[in-house]
Amino acid sequence: MQHSYLSKFLKNTACIAMMALAACALPACSDNDEPEPVIQPTASGLFIVNEGNYGAGNATLSYFSPETNTVAQEVFYRANDARLGDVANSMTIHDKLGWVVVNGSNVVFAIAADTYVEKGRISTGLTSPRWMHFISDEKAYVTQMYDNRIAIVNPKTYSVTGYIDVPGQEASTGSTEMMVQVGKYVYVNCWSYQKTIIRIDTDTDKVDATLEVGVQPKSMVLDRDNNLWVLTDGGGWDGNPVGYEAPSLVKVNTRDFTVAMKLEMNLGDYTPTLAINGTRDRLYWIQNDVYTMPITSTELPATPVIRSNGNYYYGLTIDPERGDIFIADAVDYVQNGRLLRYDSDGASIGTVATGICPHAFCWKK
Amino acid sequence: MNRQHRAATPGIRTSAYIRKCLLSVAALLPCLFFPTGSTAQSPTLLRGISVSARRVGDIGKVESRIDSSALRESVALSLADVLGFNSGLYVKNYGRATLSTVNFRGTSSSHTQVTWNGMRISSPMLGTTDFSMIPSFMVDRAALVHGSSSLGEVGGGIGGLVKLSTGSAVEKEGFSGQYVQGVGLWRTFDEFMRLAWGRGPWRASARVAYSSSRNDFPYTNHDKKDIVYDDDYNIIDSYHPRERNRSGAFKDFHALASASYDSGNSGRWGLDAWYLSTNRELPLLTTDYSEDNKFENRQREQTIRAVASWNRFSSTTSLSARAGYVHTWLAYDYRREMSQTVMSTLTRSRSHVNTFYAHAGWKHYPSPKWQFEASADLHHHSVDSHDYASLRPGNAGDEALRHSRAELSASASAKWRPTRRIGLGALLREEVFGDKAAAPVPALFADAVLWPAANLTAKLSGSRNYRFPTLNDLYTTPGGNPELRPEQGWTYDAGLSASTGQEGAWKFSAGANWFDSRITDWIQWLPSPKGFYVPRNVKQVHAYGVESEAAVAFWLPRGWMLDISANYTWSASMNCGEPVNDGDMSVGKQLPYIPRHSASAVARLSWHGWGLTYKIQFYSERFTMSSNESTLTGHLPAYSLSNAAIEKSLRMAGLDWQAKLAVNNLFNADYQTVLSRPMPGINFEFFLSVSF
Repeated sequence: MQHSYLSKFLKNTACIAMMALAACALPACSDNDEPEPVIQPTASGLFIVNEGNYGAGNATLSYFSPETNTVAQEVFYRANDARLGDVANSMTIHDKLGWVVVNGSNVVFAIAADTYVEKGRISTGLTSPRWMHFISDEKAYVTQMYDNRIAIVNPKTYSVTGYIDVPGQEASTGSTEMMVQVGKYVYVNCWSYQKTIIRIDTDTDKVDATLEVGVQPKSMVLDRDNNLWVLTDGGGWDGNPVGYEAPSLVKVNTRDFTVAMKLEMNLGDYTPTLAINGTRDRLYWIQNDVYTMPITSTELPATPVIRSNGNYYYGLTIDPERGDIFIADAVDYVQNGRLLRYDSDGASIGTVATGICPHAFCWKK
Repeated sequence: MNRQHRAATPGIRTSAYIRKCLLSVAALLPCLFFPTGSTAQSPTLLRGISVSARRVGDIGKVESRIDSSALRESVALSLADVLGFNSGLYVKNYGRATLSTVNFRGTSSSHTQVTWNGMRISSPMLGTTDFSMIPSFMVDRAALVHGSSSLGEVGGGIGGLVKLSTGSAVEKEGFSGQYVQGVGLWRTFDEFMRLAWGRGPWRASARVAYSSSRNDFPYTNHDKKDIVYDDDYNIIDSYHPRERNRSGAFKDFHALASASYDSGNSGRWGLDAWYLSTNRELPLLTTDYSEDNKFENRQREQTIRAVASWNRFSSTTSLSARAGYVHTWLAYDYRREMSQTVMSTLTRSRSHVNTFYAHAGWKHYPSPKWQFEASADLHHHSVDSHDYASLRPGNAGDEALRHSRAELSASASAKWRPTRRIGLGALLREEVFGDKAAAPVPALFADAVLWPAANLTAKLSGSRNYRFPTLNDLYTTPGGNPELRPEQGWTYDAGLSASTGQEGAWKFSAGANWFDSRITDWIQWLPSPKGFYVPRNVKQVHAYGVESEAAVAFWLPRGWMLDISANYTWSASMNCGEPVNDGDMSVGKQLPYIPRHSASAVARLSWHGWGLTYKIQFYSERFTMSSNESTLTGHLPAYSLSNAAIEKSLRMAGLDWQAKLAVNNLFNADYQTVLSRPMPGINFEFFLSVSF
């Protein structure tokens, strides 16, 4: 009798257990998200490069339309059914192709600027790529970190064709960042553990001059008079092997490649980004708050055009047509950030969401 | 896993009660200490039991003990694997044989304290423990002490405590030994050997384990696509590639020696020493597109940890003292090929950690109704850590982290059991880390037996808790934040547990526990605008939910036995802090990487030396963003994972033999526990074990 009760109890329990286990086992293959259709972009707009979090592979690309004040999120993923990668750093457009440099994934994607669909990629021969600059349709430079060389690529064949050695840098602390071109010369700011601007002769693909501007030149623009403006970050932390000093805004004369003016800020100021307006006669930069001054100014402005109110803004760009100021706010760095839009006088126009850690911008005309 | 019900059984005369205690504990001992089925008992243990029957015991304590059969299931399992399938904890696994941390009750991994033979083994730099580095065969006993209950052992376990121990005290007389060889896919080899000896008051054992694998398992990479060009470099095809886990190889070696001497009235002396040497590649992300052939992403660790112990018991008092030492050498290298002859070093980190440990404990049982305890633990950590890749000769300020800190934690408690059905306890813990002292941490405990026939017991507890920032939090360069405040909070527990059964026929146990914690000044490492991560006191977290478990076992006719256990945790872990700014959508949302639902179950059917085991683990959706957005990159889908094993044991030529075939990821689930970290599909490993 005992066994009959027992077997009955066992049978019922086993049934319940099997049902429970089966219910758990059914979703054994986890749901895979299917990308949704992509919103078609308007004729002109702004690509927002969202870094994502290092090591998470959650970088994304957003597209903002200034006319409609709307944003399309994760456009690369939706168009290509693949993630953009780990730590997207920059984007440039050349001949209707957008070139997205994904630092942590060691890849540069070429996408159709209108549809976001991938057209090709450079995935060999790169070490931690940062920015891309076109010399011609068949030659471009890609700067790198942890490497003392700049890669020369052929965009037509999506391949690295050579390297430019950067003098004075060790491989492990090598760093080259943004590039601007004046005539046949390309100027490159060397940021991480560096102090210099280098000049590359595009005829020979060699560095022919080096100029020290300050600790860790982070960002660089070219004004209408062909002067370089460089924003240093001062090293960021006391103990940085390359030094720790007050950040500065440095004007570099490209005719003789000398420092024409150096405007020092305060030690510890947070200075991630420098931008210039569409007519290239007014500078904007983040120095905790957002400041602006004409390129003719010889001293730093006393008051900001936009106050950060304690936020650490992460990126900055100026609408080349309207002059509106766009600021990237990473919020808490582990959620979607936002794009803050102001008119050129600093009056708020609106806010839209971005991806995680919005950092760099690319205007599509 | 069996939750231990500490309330005394009421309504039984003292002698009968003691006899029942002896029988219960004696029945439990083989499970705890002799997974191979040995029933040997030592005089030492019996002496301990006769004393314990006079004690008040634990009151209101929520402790889950991991079955020794789970720890001894396979030489290939790490403690992360065991906890994933035998508890309701969330195991955050970055890949096979890769960093694995556990989260109690919706808290972070640094809120889980881990002790081995009483000594904390969490990294003093990070505050976390990599459970993938702990082979389950190196652990004799493992228990989870939840929430407030952990304060009886350590401070800082806001989520709880994982309590591990090894030792030689339970080895039987004479020589015994075991050798296990495992062979699996992807050139996986697991070897384990244990020798033990016991004579009179002496016990000694030594064990070694070595695991290696190429670990290049194949998987379909849904995170990226391979493309095919035509001759004009137009893309004519693209597909999600079938790839192999790159840079996943590992070699882990462990050696553990234990010895003990029971001198009778002078107490029991013990020494345990554990050496580990690991050499592990760190797998690439699924989103790494580089096609370079040469790179190195490797972590190496060598650790020696040892604890000497002394315990003395009398009818009214027990004393304990321990001294320990840990030395860890940790290296992390990340290099990529620049050209055929030059490797660029991105990271070359070297760390040395030295920890000295001392403990003194006192327990007094003036009567069966009262128990008093006091203990003090001192850990002194010295850390020297550099990243040589960023150094330049002649430059100052090259230290990444060089610091030492003494950490003192002392507690005193009183327990009172006025009747056999009621127990009350109070505890006060004080911690001093460096030159900073925490406000005293109080805890109150109560339990009551509601229905003696089913051992239905209600438990209540409430406590304050406190966790000091780690050395990395405070001092690492760059990023360390000396201004950090300690995390602190209040935790409340209420639960029910019951157990019943019929000897030789069936047994059943179940428990459920509601918990509610509010933690302020939650420390979180966040990317900083200056390009590196910085820890900040950013959040207030309200973590609440229910932990539950149930186990049933049947001894059936003709030698059949069925054993099923299951765990389920519902955990809400909400950010209740102030928003960072008006764009912050994280307030009121579940913390990233904390599943609301986690569950596991193990079913085992055995018959005359045959065994069939089925295990399942389930985690609900995890958000990867603090704002809980279900974007394509913002969440990870729920998944379940099943393992199965069949084994046969027999005695042949005077030896006990066992052959086992284990199937992992039985249904070939395609899943990720952490974003962009590949996980293996179905795989097999065969084991052969011989013991004497």
